[in-house]
Amino acid sequence: MLITTKNTAEIAEAISNHVGKNAALITIGEHTEIDINALISQLNNSDVKFMGGLFPKVIHGNSILDKGIVVNTLNNLDSMFLVKNISTKDYTIPNVVFNKNQDYSLFTYVDGLTSNISHYLSELYENYGMQTNYFGGGAGSLSLEQQPCVFNNDGIFQDAAVFAIMKMSSRIGVRHGWSKIEGPFIVTSAEGNVIKEINWQNPFEVYKEVVEAHSGKTFTDDNFFDIAKGYPFGILKDDAECIVRDPLMVNEKGELICVGELEDNAVVDILNGDKDSLIDAAKSAAEDSVKKASVPRKAILIDCISRILFLEDNFDKELKAITSTLENSFDNISIGGALTLGEISSYGEGFLEFYNKTIVVGLFE
Amino acid sequence: MRIENHILDILQLYEYAMAIGKSLDYKESCDLFLKLLLKRKNLNAAWIIEPKDNMLQSTYAIPFGEEINIKKDDEASGFLDTIDFGKIITVNKAISRIAPIPIEEGKMAIFNLDAQGYLFLYSKKNNISNKDLSQLEPVIKKFTINLKACKAFKEQEQLLHNLEMQNQELSDYAHMVSHDLKSPLRSVDTLASWLIEDNKGKLDDHCSAQLGLIRSNVEKMDALINGILDYSTIGKNQIETYKVDLNVLLKDVLNLMEIPSHISIDIAELPTILGDKYRLQQLFQNLISNAVKYNDKPKGLIEIGVEDKKQFWEFYIKDNGKGIDEAYFKKIFKVFEKLENTQDSTGVGLSIVKKIVDLYGGKIWLTSELGVGTTFYFTLKKHNDGTA
Repeated sequence: MLITTKNTAEIAEAISNHVGKNAALITIGEHTEIDINALISQLNNSDVKFMGGLFPKVIHGNSILDKGIVVNTLNNLDSMFLVKNISTKDYTIPNVVFNKNQDYSLFTYVDGLTSNISHYLSELYENYGMQTNYFGGGAGSLSLEQQPCVFNNDGIFQDAAVFAIMKMSSRIGVRHGWSKIEGPFIVTSAEGNVIKEINWQNPFEVYKEVVEAHSGKTFTDDNFFDIAKGYPFGILKDDAECIVRDPLMVNEKGELICVGELEDNAVVDILNGDKDSLIDAAKSAAEDSVKKASVPRKAILIDCISRILFLEDNFDKELKAITSTLENSFDNISIGGALTLGEISSYGEGFLEFYNKTIVVGLFE
Repeated sequence: MRIENHILDILQLYEYAMAIGKSLDYKESCDLFLKLLLKRKNLNAAWIIEPKDNMLQSTYAIPFGEEINIKKDDEASGFLDTIDFGKIITVNKAISRIAPIPIEEGKMAIFNLDAQGYLFLYSKKNNISNKDLSQLEPVIKKFTINLKACKAFKEQEQLLHNLEMQNQELSDYAHMVSHDLKSPLRSVDTLASWLIEDNKGKLDDHCSAQLGLIRSNVEKMDALINGILDYSTIGKNQIETYKVDLNVLLKDVLNLMEIPSHISIDIAELPTILGDKYRLQQLFQNLISNAVKYNDKPKGLIEIGVEDKKQFWEFYIKDNGKGIDEAYFKKIFKVFEKLENTQDSTGVGLSIVKKIVDLYGGKIWLTSELGVGTTFYFTLKKHNDGTA
C-alpha cells in the first residue's frame, strides 16, 4: 500500500487498517513531509507493531517516489528487535528459538551510513545461521549525512538496525550486472569502509589510471562520484557474482571511501556496466526469485540508489523488467520496496553479505 | 584465461594466508580466517571439533548452533582417524552427529589440524571440491600453527595470572600474619620486662637467665617479623624514584650500623643513580651487615665498589669472611634459608636484597671461597641519562 497524505493520524489509521493484527513494514521516502515521531506515537496509540526506515526513494509497483510511505504487512511475525550501537559493536543479538519444521524469513533495515554493518550481519548469521533467510537494506539520506533513519515502536534511531523474523518462506534473487574491466588488484590496506592502499600504492592513483583510461574522462576536484558511480570495485568470490563496493569519495590522502567494508588483502576487480547489463541483471534477479517461489503474496525490492544515479532515465526500464517478470508469473502480486544505501542478503543461502549497486528481489509467501 | 585463473587462485591464497596469525585470541583467530573462507567460498558453516579424553568437543562454530560434547565412539573417531590431512565427504548420519547445526544434505571438507582437532567446512550446495582441499592445504597448516600459538598464549597468560594472584595472596598473608604476631609479641616482651623489674634482686641467676632468654628470643622473632613485613611490601607499592648519591647513602648506612673495630670498610667512588633511598639503603645495609656478621678474621676487610658496564652499573661488596659453599649460592636468596642458626640471623635479609634488585630490573650473584671470603655482585639498570 502507498500512502501519500501528510496527516499522521490518517497515516496511522491507514496503516492500522491495512495490516490489521499483523505487524507493519513501513518504508518512507526521505522527502516525505511528515513528523515521524508523531507517526510513531500515533501507531503506538493504535497498538500497531511496526518497523521501518527512511530511504532516498521508495518503490511502489512501477513508480519510484521521493515522497510517500510504502506499507507491507509482516504476516506471521515471530519476533521484532531493535539493535543499537552498530558502529561500536556494543550489542547482543537476542536469542530466538526456531522450529525445525518451519521456514523463517528475517527482514532488516540498518543505518546504511554507519560503520561495522558487516559485523552486525556476521552476528546475525552467527546466532541464527541457516535457520532463516535474510533480506534487507541500508536506510539513510542521499545527502550521505548520517541521521536517525530506522525506527520501530521505541522511536527513530541512527547507528542502529531493526529486524523482524517471520514464520514464512521467502525466495530471493540477487544480481548486479557489473563486469570486470581491470584486475585483479589487492586491497593491501583497508580500514572499515576506507581503502587505504591498493597493490601497496596510493589507491586513488591506481583507480584513476584505470578509470580515466577506460572512460576517457579526467577526475577533477569535484567530479569524483560522477565518474566513480560507473566504476565500482568487485570483491571476488568463488563460483558467484563478486560483491560490489561503491567508491563514494576520495579523501585528501587519496584514500577511497566506499559504502560497505572491505577486508585487508581482499582481491578486487574494477568493474563497469552499461544500461543493458544492469537491466538484464535486474531481470535475472527477478527470474531467480520466481524460479524458486510457489505462491508469493508480495514482492519487496531492495535496489541500490546508485543504480538509479547511474541509469538515470533508464532506471524505469530496470524496474519494469523486474515488475513485468514478477507479474507474468504471479497475478496481483503486490510490489513495493526502496532504493537503498546498501543491500543485504546471502548468495545461495551462504554467509550473509552487504552489497552495493545490487538489486535484491524477495518474494514472500 | 588459465593463467589469469592461476593468478586469482594465488591471490586468494594470499588473502587467506594474511588473515591468519593476526591475533593470539582463539575465537578472534578463527573468526578472521573462517568467516573470510565462508564469504569467499560461499559456504554455510565452519566448526572445529577436538578430541579430549574420551569426548569430542566443539571449540569453535559459526553459526554457533548447539555445543558438541559427545562421547567418542568407534563410528565417529574411527572415521576421523582415517583423515590424514583432508577429505571431502557427502553428509551422512555419523557426521551430522558431530555438527553443531542440523545438516541433512550437502558436502563437507574435513581437515586434520593435528593436536588442534578437526576443522569442518560445510556447503549445503555442494560447492566444495578436492581442488579446495589442495588449495587450502598450506593455509590450513598455517592456521593450525596459529591455533596452537593461541592456546600456548592463553596458557601463559593464565599461568602469569595465577602467579600474580598467588604472589598477591602470599604477600597479603605475610603482611597480615606479621601484624597479628607483633601485638602478642610486644605483650610477652612487656610482661617479661615487668617481671624482671618487679622482682629485681629476688630472682635467682637461673630465673634471670631464663627471662633474658625469653626477651632475646622475642627480639629475634620481632626482627624476623620485621623482615617478613619488609619482604612482603617490596614491590607492592609503586616506588618513587629520584636521584640518590650513593656516596652519601653509604655514609648514612654505616653511621646507622655498629661496625666492630676490627673490621675496616673501603668504599670506592660511587655513582649517583635514580632510585628510592629507603630500598637502596635496605639493599646495601643487608649486604654489609652479612659481610660484617660472617667475618671470622682478626682483621676484617670489606670492599665496596662499582664498574660501569654501559647499560648498567655492576656493584660489588667483597669481604674476607668465612666464605660460602657453592652448594648454597642459589639457596641463600630464598626466604628463611640461612647457613648458620645464629641468634641475630632471620634468613630474610638476602631474600629482601634479591627482591629489591629484581624490582630495579637487575641481577644478583656471588662468588666465594671457603675460608677466603665472598663477593656479592648486583646490577642496576641505567636510564637514558646514565643514572640507574
